[in-house]
Amino acid sequence: MSERAEFLGSRAIRAACVCATAAALNAWTPAAMGAAVPAASPAASSGAVAGFTHVKSLGGIDEYRLDSNGLDVLLVPDHSAPVVTFQVTYRVGSRNEVTGTTGTTHILEHLMFKGSEDFNDPKGNSIKQYLERVGGQFNATTSFDRTNYFATIGRDSLEGYIAIEADRMRHLWLHEADRQAEMTVVRNEYERGKNDPDNVLMEEVTAAAYVALPYHHPTIGWKSDIEHVPIAKLHEFYDTFYWPNNATVTVVGDIDPAATLGLIKKYYGVYPRSPSPIPEIYTEEPAQSGPRRVLIRRPGELGTVIIAHKVPDGRNADQPALDMLDAILSSGKNARLYRGLVDQGLALNAVAGTDLHRDLSLHTVYATLAPGATHAQVEKAMLAEIAKVKTDGVTAAEVERVKQQFIAADAYKRDGTAAVAAEINEWIAVGDWTLYVTFPEKVHQVTPADVQRVAKEYLNEDQSTTGWFVPVPAEKGS
Amino acid sequence: MAAQSQRSDVAGIDVITYRTHVKDVVVILGALPAGDAMAESGNIAIPTLAGMMLDRGTKAHDKFAIAEQLDNVGAEISFGVGTQSLEIRAKCLKKDLPLVIGLIAEELRTPALKSQELDKAKQQFIGVLETSAHNTQSRAQEAFGRAIFPAGHPNRPHAISEYEAAAKSATLEEIKAFHAKFYGPAHMTLVLAGDVSTPEAQAEIAKAFSGWSGGQDYLRPSKPAASPGAGEIRVPLADKPSVSILLGQPTGLRYKDADALALRVGTAIFGQGFTGRLMGTVRDKEGLTYNIGASMGEDSIADGNWNISASFAPALLDKGIASARRELGKWWKDGVTDHELAARKQGIVGSYLVGLSTTGGLANTILMSVQRGYDVNWLDGYPVAVNALTRNQVNAAIKTHLDPSSMVLVEAGSVAQYPTTYGGH
Repeated sequence: MSERAEFLGSRAIRAACVCATAAALNAWTPAAMGAAVPAASPAASSGAVAGFTHVKSLGGIDEYRLDSNGLDVLLVPDHSAPVVTFQVTYRVGSRNEVTGTTGTTHILEHLMFKGSEDFNDPKGNSIKQYLERVGGQFNATTSFDRTNYFATIGRDSLEGYIAIEADRMRHLWLHEADRQAEMTVVRNEYERGKNDPDNVLMEEVTAAAYVALPYHHPTIGWKSDIEHVPIAKLHEFYDTFYWPNNATVTVVGDIDPAATLGLIKKYYGVYPRSPSPIPEIYTEEPAQSGPRRVLIRRPGELGTVIIAHKVPDGRNADQPALDMLDAILSSGKNARLYRGLVDQGLALNAVAGTDLHRDLSLHTVYATLAPGATHAQVEKAMLAEIAKVKTDGVTAAEVERVKQQFIAADAYKRDGTAAVAAEINEWIAVGDWTLYVTFPEKVHQVTPADVQRVAKEYLNEDQSTTGWFVPVPAEKGS
Repeated sequence: MAAQSQRSDVAGIDVITYRTHVKDVVVILGALPAGDAMAESGNIAIPTLAGMMLDRGTKAHDKFAIAEQLDNVGAEISFGVGTQSLEIRAKCLKKDLPLVIGLIAEELRTPALKSQELDKAKQQFIGVLETSAHNTQSRAQEAFGRAIFPAGHPNRPHAISEYEAAAKSATLEEIKAFHAKFYGPAHMTLVLAGDVSTPEAQAEIAKAFSGWSGGQDYLRPSKPAASPGAGEIRVPLADKPSVSILLGQPTGLRYKDADALALRVGTAIFGQGFTGRLMGTVRDKEGLTYNIGASMGEDSIADGNWNISASFAPALLDKGIASARRELGKWWKDGVTDHELAARKQGIVGSYLVGLSTTGGLANTILMSVQRGYDVNWLDGYPVAVNALTRNQVNAAIKTHLDPSSMVLVEAGSVAQYPTTYGGH
């Protein structure tokens, strides 16, 4: 029950400083081990479970569609431990909100835990009661492009969870009393985010970078919308987007594919398709014609600099080269930003990454100032590292080193069902789950020339949005 | 599960290996007693700075050469300094295990400890401290720990401002002396889990750590911390619209003590997860907070603490604290029910098994068990011990070891800066 997109970008890039590169690194798959992944036979053919159409199989993942209502299903069998991660991803996020309803996706995500017709607290079988009783690790998250609900549980507890998850797809309780109680919970979540100046800066940089696209507003919403959105709007949102033909179910772990499809059909097959088509976003971002700047002054001690550029959508063919660029800039002690900023005493950390979106994504380079360093010094050093890539390119050795890191990362990510489901979820969000498999293959084909080309094409001053968090002394009596 | 592990003394190090089904991946977790508490009466920044110097070059290789060896194979090694331990974390492909064990040994045994790198480490450390000084949760923990643990207790944290002053004055000689005294195989543990061959791991560890000696034991106070009595501490921080609170006391219990597990399970019923009483009432019914919970901590080696942790808007702070105290009073007075205990036992055991399904989770559980004084059989013994608990044991442990009337309350944030009510609602 968390909201994360409003600082997903900064979080993703900060996480990268330990492991390697940004979020896309985690998408490395067996394909990266050097061989293309064949389109395998489905684990359960369409004939094995009537009512499903086998769509495709790729990299050990089998995709099916429930014929009666269009529900998309991804099965990822993995028998290394007797656990299963079950996840449903709704293709709705804060991008589907407008003025007055910002934060609605996230509030609805919270209300999804308040009970449904057949599973609720009074009956003693609510989702929280069930999953905590069986020891499940569960939660839900909302982002710009999607909302997901998931649990990792022992394999014997799977059917019980599917039944509850399916019930709340169409039979959710949406009561005004629950909205009122949950509004203040969400408002405190909003306030917790405001405690961190870096989160505030990232929100403001994002708001400045996007003028027309709905990524402009934070996923958690504006405070006034959180407080005032009426229950009728939440009903309307639920009845527009929570349908099987707007959802993907992902099941990873110790499953029998045919039996699992049978359970999904049993519990989700009772629903029709949405009565109306799911609304599409037709807004396009106008061209940016000059650099934008944001400055935040708040109490604090260390400053921050973020340099952001809008880059293509997450499915675009240039994203693998951008991912390689980010790793060269910020993965490990030999990365350029470490050598150019951290090791020079200018920054405590400096990382680069891309927050991938269904529409225009946001590339960011981020640095926390070291004590004694100035914003101008740090920004200049960050820009110098970007300029070096544009002018001189990167070396073959740098590219090869990152590829080796990705190969290892592929092996690491196969240790645990929840991590696999989480990564597939993000590729569903950008609009193509097969990138979970094919993106790494594409990274493996990136050349030094590709890296230089994308840096030149996208990381331009006139397309930039730069943000400074400037700490000011605290006033007495706070 | 314990039958799948092997434990042995290799070059004076307590080594535990556990083969899992994961392919190609090995996770290494380790610890040795060189944490912050080991500074004792010396410069309090030295243990952390010593830990930070480990990956800044060795006598044989500079930091970039070491990083290149790791980067070229996608392996990771990192060190962290906790209250009592230097923590070692590494991950690599199976084929790279000899390289990674060799580098861990090289960094632990022969760090370069150069003055130029110390200056950079100091700057980094001070930067982290300055960030912590503006974090409501960090400041609440600092004040809470200093209020409930007496001077000399290993769990008593130093003030952030004291750390900063100490870091500025730290010398290379102090770090070298600390390294010589505390870094060694005695009381060091290494856990290797995943696609690991025990004979190969043992041979590599023996080769890499051969001839190393020294090391000190963990600090175990002869007398547990006594309750300081009720108190309230306010830590004002500017421009923080969510206040962090801690309410609690020392328990006098170590993890392995009799009663500790009973109190832990009772605490889970009270304050863990979405069905814990605190979340069920203070969040779900009253809508006063995004997050509230209760837990026991810092008790693996020394006696630890019990606390309620929550965040509230300044306008809801008093109401939120009153609700938390009301629930605490009920729980303490009436105890838990048979139904709650049965459900929570099932949940704890189920969650434990799910947690063991990743190599990292498994390695962490083994390391924690050993640090708490158990042998590896505790992997199997833990669920049995949980299931054996009775309601009377749980309720007696709550009454015996906690006293709601003598707890310390800490509030960190902009308590006075924001309005005491929300406008227009």
